Amino acid sequence: MPSEDVGRMPVLQGTLDLIVLRTLSAMGPQHAYGIAARLQQISGDLLQLNQGTLYPALVRLEQQGRIKAVWGKTESNREAKFYSLTKLGEKALAAETERWRRMSGLVEKLLSGEA
Amino acid sequence: MRRFAVRLLNLFRRRPAERELAREVDSHLGLLEEEFGRRGLTPEEARFAALREYGSVEYAKDLHRDARGFPWLEQSLKDVRFGARSLLRTPGFTAIAVLTLALGIGANTALFSVVNAVLLRPLAYRDPDRLVTILHGGSDPVAPANFLDWRGQSRSFELMAAAEFWSPNLTGSYPPEHIRGHRMTRNLLSALGVQPLIGRAFLPGDDRGVVSNEVILSHGLWLRRFGADPGVLGRKIVLDGDPYTIVGVMPRDFAFSPFWAPRGELWAPLALGERALSRGGNSLRVFARLRRGVTIDEARSEMTAVTARLERQFPGSNRDVQITPLAKQVVGNVEAPLRILSGAVGFVLLIACANVSHMLLARTSSRQKEIAVRMALGAGRTRLVGQFLTENLLLATLGGTVGLLAAWWGVRALIALSPANLPRVETVRIDASVALFLAGITVITAMLFGLAPAMHVGVDRVAEALKEGGRGASDDGVRRGRLRAFLIASEFAMAFVLLTGAGLVLRSFIAIERIDPGFDPRSVLSMVVSVAGTSEAEPGRREGFYRELLAKAQALPGVRSVSAINHLPLAGDMWGLPFLIEGGPRPRPGELPSAVYRAVMPGYFETMRIPLVRGRGVGISDDKRSPGVVVINERAADLFWPGQDPIGRRVTFETAAGAAPTWLTIVGICRNARQLDWAATPYPEVYLALLQNHDYLERPQPHYAYITLVARTDGKPTALAEALKQTVWSMDRNLPISQILTLEEAVSRATAQPRFEMALFGAFAAVALVLAAAGVYGVVSYSVSRRTHEIGIRMSLGASARDVLWMVTRQGIAEAAFGITVGLAGALLLARLLSGMLYEVGPADPLTFALASLTLIGAALLAVWIPARRASAIEPVIALRSE
Repeated sequence: MPSEDVGRMPVLQGTLDLIVLRTLSAMGPQHAYGIAARLQQISGDLLQLNQGTLYPALVRLEQQGRIKAVWGKTESNREAKFYSLTKLGEKALAAETERWRRMSGLVEKLLSGEA
Repeated sequence: MRRFAVRLLNLFRRRPAERELAREVDSHLGLLEEEFGRRGLTPEEARFAALREYGSVEYAKDLHRDARGFPWLEQSLKDVRFGARSLLRTPGFTAIAVLTLALGIGANTALFSVVNAVLLRPLAYRDPDRLVTILHGGSDPVAPANFLDWRGQSRSFELMAAAEFWSPNLTGSYPPEHIRGHRMTRNLLSALGVQPLIGRAFLPGDDRGVVSNEVILSHGLWLRRFGADPGVLGRKIVLDGDPYTIVGVMPRDFAFSPFWAPRGELWAPLALGERALSRGGNSLRVFARLRRGVTIDEARSEMTAVTARLERQFPGSNRDVQITPLAKQVVGNVEAPLRILSGAVGFVLLIACANVSHMLLARTSSRQKEIAVRMALGAGRTRLVGQFLTENLLLATLGGTVGLLAAWWGVRALIALSPANLPRVETVRIDASVALFLAGITVITAMLFGLAPAMHVGVDRVAEALKEGGRGASDDGVRRGRLRAFLIASEFAMAFVLLTGAGLVLRSFIAIERIDPGFDPRSVLSMVVSVAGTSEAEPGRREGFYRELLAKAQALPGVRSVSAINHLPLAGDMWGLPFLIEGGPRPRPGELPSAVYRAVMPGYFETMRIPLVRGRGVGISDDKRSPGVVVINERAADLFWPGQDPIGRRVTFETAAGAAPTWLTIVGICRNARQLDWAATPYPEVYLALLQNHDYLERPQPHYAYITLVARTDGKPTALAEALKQTVWSMDRNLPISQILTLEEAVSRATAQPRFEMALFGAFAAVALVLAAAGVYGVVSYSVSRRTHEIGIRMSLGASARDVLWMVTRQGIAEAAFGITVGLAGALLLARLLSGMLYEVGPADPLTFALASLTLIGAALLAVWIPARRASAIEPVIALRSE
C-alpha cells in the first residue's frame, strides 16, 4: 500500500534504538505495543512503522543491557512484556542524544548552506 | 562483546526463546485488538485491523530471530541437522561410508603419529640442527687418541664430545641388575644442550684423568630403583663393585644415545687414562656441536684437512671420517621405508575417497527428484551445494571420529610391531600435531570425495528431472558414467601399485625368512650372567665358577646341552679385532686382516648345532694348560686361505710390534652363522677357547667379565629360565642376570624391520584390494539396479542371459583393466624406490607383477560377477513392469 502512504516516511536507519530509549525514558516501563502506539501518536502517523519491526531494536537493546524486560499485567489485566531503561540505558540515551544533536546540527548546517 | 556472547548463548536456547517470542507477539496483538475494540470495531474487525496494523507476524519473528542469534550460524546448524537426518535415513550407506573413511583416516593418522615422532619432531636436545656425529665410515667408532686430536685441532665446533657403551652391574641392593649406560666426556651433556632435572651435570675436567666415580641416573632408573626419591643426590651406589656417587637425575624425555646403544639408564664420566694415547681399540662415538654460523660443509672440509694430516702421521688411523647430522644418523635406515609407507597409506585414503565419492554420486542421482523439487521451490544452487558440502563434512567428521579410535588402536599395534631399531618409538603418541593432522585430512577428505558429486548437483533442467521420474537426465547420466569409470580406474591403478609393492616386500620377506641362520635357533634359551664387581670375578676364581655353573646347568632336568659364549650372535655385542697370520708378511698398520671375535666354552658348536665343515670344535680339554686353539668360519677360510687348508695354521691377536705373541692354532672350520645383521653376508669370524683366554678369565673390566649362557632344551626353552636363574643365584646371590631370551626371539628381532614393513604394506594392500573390489561392486550393482528396465527390454528383444552377463561384466572389468595398465607405471616407480628395502628380489620381479594383476582382475571379476548374475536372472516381464 505504498501509494496510499504518500507523506509517511520510514524510520531513519539507526535511529530506532534512540527513539525506543527516549520513549521508555519519558514513559517509564512500557510494552512493545505501548512503545509503538506512543511513536505513532507523537509522529502524528508520519512514521511508517509496522509494529512487528520494533522487535529487532528491542532484542538488540536488551542484549546490550540498555533495557530489561519483565512480564507483567496491563490495566486490562492482559499479560505483556514490559521493557524499562537500565542504568546503562540511561547513560546510552544521554550519549546517543548528544551524538544525534551534533549530527543533525551538522546536517542542518550543511543543508542551509552555512558551511 | 556482551552482545556477541548473548547471541552465541542464544544458539542453545532456541526453544524457550521461540516460546517467549510467540507469547510476546500474542500479547501485542491482543493489546492492538483491545485498542481497536475501544474504537468501536466488532471483535472480528478488531482482530483483522490488529493484524494489519502489526504487519506480517512471521516477518517480525524472523527479524527477531536474526537480531537474537547469528543467522548464518543458525543456517549452518540447520544444514547440519538436515544432513544428519538425511544420513540417518540411509543408515546402510552412512555406516559403510563412515567405516571406509575411518579406515583411511585412521590408518593415515596412526602412521602419521609414528612418522611424526620418528622423523618430524626435532630431537629433544637444544638446537638439534647443529648437532653432528663424527665417525669412521659414518657409523663406526673412533679411537681415543684420534678423538682427542680432532677436538684439539678443529675450529668448526663449539663442543666436541664422545661416549662409549658401559653396562655395569648394580649390586648391593636386591635384585642385582645389569644396567645399560654410557661413559661420556664431561662436556657431552653441554654439547647436547640438556640439563639434569635435579642435581648437576659432570663438572668440567680432563677426560684423560683418572676415574671420577660420579653417576647421573635416567628418569626411568630413578623411578624404578629409587622410587623417584629426590634425596638420592649424594647417595652412594655400588657399580661393578666400586662405590659411585649419584650427582644428578635426567629429565623424563631425555634419551641417549639417540642412535646406537639406545635406552641408556646410567651415565658416568669417561676417564681415558692410558687409553688417551691409543689409536686402536675404537670404542668412542663422537658427537659435536657446530659453531654458530659454521656450515656442515665447512666443518667437513676442515675435518678432511685434520684427518689427512693425522693419517700421514699415523697411517691407517684416520681413514674415511664422516660428519653426519645427528638427526640423519638417528633416522638412518628407517627414513626411506617410513616415507614409502606414508605414501602407501596415502593411497589407501585416496581409494577410500574414491569409493565414498561414487557412493555419493549414486546417492545424488537417486536424490535427483528431491533436488529438483527443492530447486523448483526456490532453493538456490549455492544453498544446495552448501548443503551437500555440509553433509559431506559431517560424513568426513564421523569418519574422522571413528578413525581416531582406529588410530588409537593402530598406534598401539604399530608400536607392538615396530622393530627395536626404530628410533624414538617410545615417544610415539597421539598429540596436538597428530590431532591437527587428523582434522586436516578430515577436511581434505571431505573435499576430495565430495567435489565430484557436488559439481553434479546443479540440475539445469528442473522440469526435465521431475519428468524423468527421478532417474536423471540421460546426457547427465553419461557424464556421471564417465566420472564413475574414472574413479574405478584410478582405484584399481592405486590398488595395483600397493599390491605390487606389498608383493615385492612379501617376496623379499620370504627370502629373508628362508635365510639359514647357520645354527638351529629352536629350543635354545640364552641369558647373560655377569660376574663384574663380584667375588667371582677374581682372577683365580672365574674359571672354576664358569665350569661349575655349566656343570650344574647341564644337570638340570630338560637340558640337553649347555655352553656359553662372550657375545651371542644376533643379540649380543660384536667386536671386530685385527690379527696376524703366522709366516705371512707383516701388513702396514691399519691394513691387518680382522675378524669377528668370539670366545666360547666347550660344547658351543654342539649346543648351537653349528655344523663343523672340517676339524673339531672347542673342547673340554682346551684350557690354560694346553696350546691355544681357534675355530674359524668358512668365510674366513675362503678369504684368508683361498685354495689352501687353514687347519694347523697359526694366528695371533696380539698384534703390537715387538710383543711375544700367543699363537693360536686353527683346529676347525665351521659353517657361517649369522652375526648381527640378519641379511648381510657374514664377516670372517673366529672362535677362541674362553678357558684359554686371559682377557675373559682375568681382566676385571665389565666387558670381559660376563658370559652368555646358551642351553638347548627338550621342551619349551622359556620353561627353563627360572631354574637356570636359581642355579646361578644358588652359587652367588649377587650375580646380575640379564637379557633372558630364546634364540628364536633373537632371530625374530633380527628380522623385525622387514616383518614390520611387510605387515604394514600387506595390510595397506589388503585394504586397498577390498576397497577397490567393493567400489567396482557398488558401481556395477548400482548400474544394474538402474538398468533393470533396459535389461528387461533387451531380454524381451532376444538378448540371452549370457549376453546380459557379458554386457554387465565387461563394464566393470574394462575399467579395472584400464586402471591396472595405468597403475603399471606407478608400480614400476614404487618398485624402484623399494629396491633398497628388498632382499634377493628384483624391483621389476615379473612374478610379483603378474600375481598382483591376476589378483586384482580376480577380485574385480568376483565383485562384478555378483551383480552380473543378478542382472542375467532378471525376468523380462517383471523388469518391464518395474519403474
